[in-house]
Amino acid sequence: MKKAAVIIAVISAAVAAALLIYDGVFMKTANVGFFAMNTYVSAELKGADSQKCAQKISDITARLDTEVLSRTSENSEIHSVNQNGSGVLGSELGGWIAELLQVCKKSGGAFDFTLGGVSDLWSFGSNPRVPDGQALADALSHSGYEKLTLSGNNLTLSDRAAVIDLGAAGKGIALDKIKEAVEKSRVSHAVVSVGGSVLLYGDKTFTVGIRDPEGGAGRYIAKLSVEQSCVSTSGSYEQSFEKDGRKYHHILDPETGYPVDNGLVSVTVISESGLLSDALSTACYVLGIERGSKLAAEYGCRAVFITQDKKIYLSGVSRDVIEITDNSYTFAEQ
Amino acid sequence: MKLFRKGDIAVIAVILAAAAIFAVLGRLGGENPRAVITVDGETVETLDLSQVKEKIIIRPETVPDVVIAAENGEIWFEQAECEDKLCVKSGRLSRCGDTAACLPAKTVITITGADVDAVVY
Repeated sequence: MKKAAVIIAVISAAVAAALLIYDGVFMKTANVGFFAMNTYVSAELKGADSQKCAQKISDITARLDTEVLSRTSENSEIHSVNQNGSGVLGSELGGWIAELLQVCKKSGGAFDFTLGGVSDLWSFGSNPRVPDGQALADALSHSGYEKLTLSGNNLTLSDRAAVIDLGAAGKGIALDKIKEAVEKSRVSHAVVSVGGSVLLYGDKTFTVGIRDPEGGAGRYIAKLSVEQSCVSTSGSYEQSFEKDGRKYHHILDPETGYPVDNGLVSVTVISESGLLSDALSTACYVLGIERGSKLAAEYGCRAVFITQDKKIYLSGVSRDVIEITDNSYTFAEQ
Repeated sequence: MKLFRKGDIAVIAVILAAAAIFAVLGRLGGENPRAVITVDGETVETLDLSQVKEKIIIRPETVPDVVIAAENGEIWFEQAECEDKLCVKSGRLSRCGDTAACLPAKTVITITGADVDAVVY
């Protein structure tokens, strides 16, 4: 009897020790937050390499911004093309530009990453103002993705006044690079937010809050259950200002140069690709519910559209995976 | 002479098992909403909001200057010297997952203990 008790005790100890070792080694967590790419980046990582991976994420976002994507950093590839009118891109950036040009074409120009001159006039990030109509028309005449030619990795601007601005895709591109780093590390789960565009990595169902368009940052009106993916939202509440009783926001219509006014307040896109989730959230916002849904479906992506009158339209998203947490919002009859 | 007697082994086993149970429960257990204030990624203040009744003013040393206030389970950016004052406009935070940030001052308030993994915006 005593012998049996000792054996049970030893087995219990072995299991306990194994649990403690597993918990200490494999379930290590890292929670970091820092500023990069002109926004706030947060990462929650779980796994043996979580600390190392957190450092990699910090390095990746800093390098992407200053050396590749930023149009203000003098050492970046995009800055160089904007300055010189052409340039030989690194193979990664060349691939991203090719993919984004395809989004421009497939969206019929609703997504356009050559609007740098137009958005400068609005100056949403620093000192927002309603631009002079003639100045806006001039800037608009120098924008348009058709002015870009990508041959291999050679990118040329046919109009030297066109300004490439990857603000509507850069966070998503960062998520793709971060995902690569996570995949190479001993990290089992990761939730990384680059300015509100989110990478959900790991073998589990994640719960994502869709931001309350009328509430403060971090508040949400619905919870979405998703597997491993990237989720991005474009919303009219970000970078907006009021002038003479009218609200202006940063999602510009490439046709008019003015903020899109189509009854939407936000579009959330779920994709395996960060680049696509980010770029398509803007494209779908500009296109509106019907054409936006078609574009998302064409890319195999799912989307959630929220309107000013608090209706939620789903595209490829089952009602079973979305829970409305604010009763003033309802599902639209579709 | 034996290093351990049978009784000693049983005691060690019980202690290890208890430690493992606490470790696992620690991961699974809930927590009170806590406001975490970070400046440039470094945590400068953590508050258990359920314990905050009277108004508290927190002034992390930032440029531009920001003033954070907490009262009755809520926390918010009360003043900021930055141009856009988006952080002040974010309003009062009280729910798990709520976040407000002042980018110029690199200051973030987050309520931890969220029932979602992330909020997209």
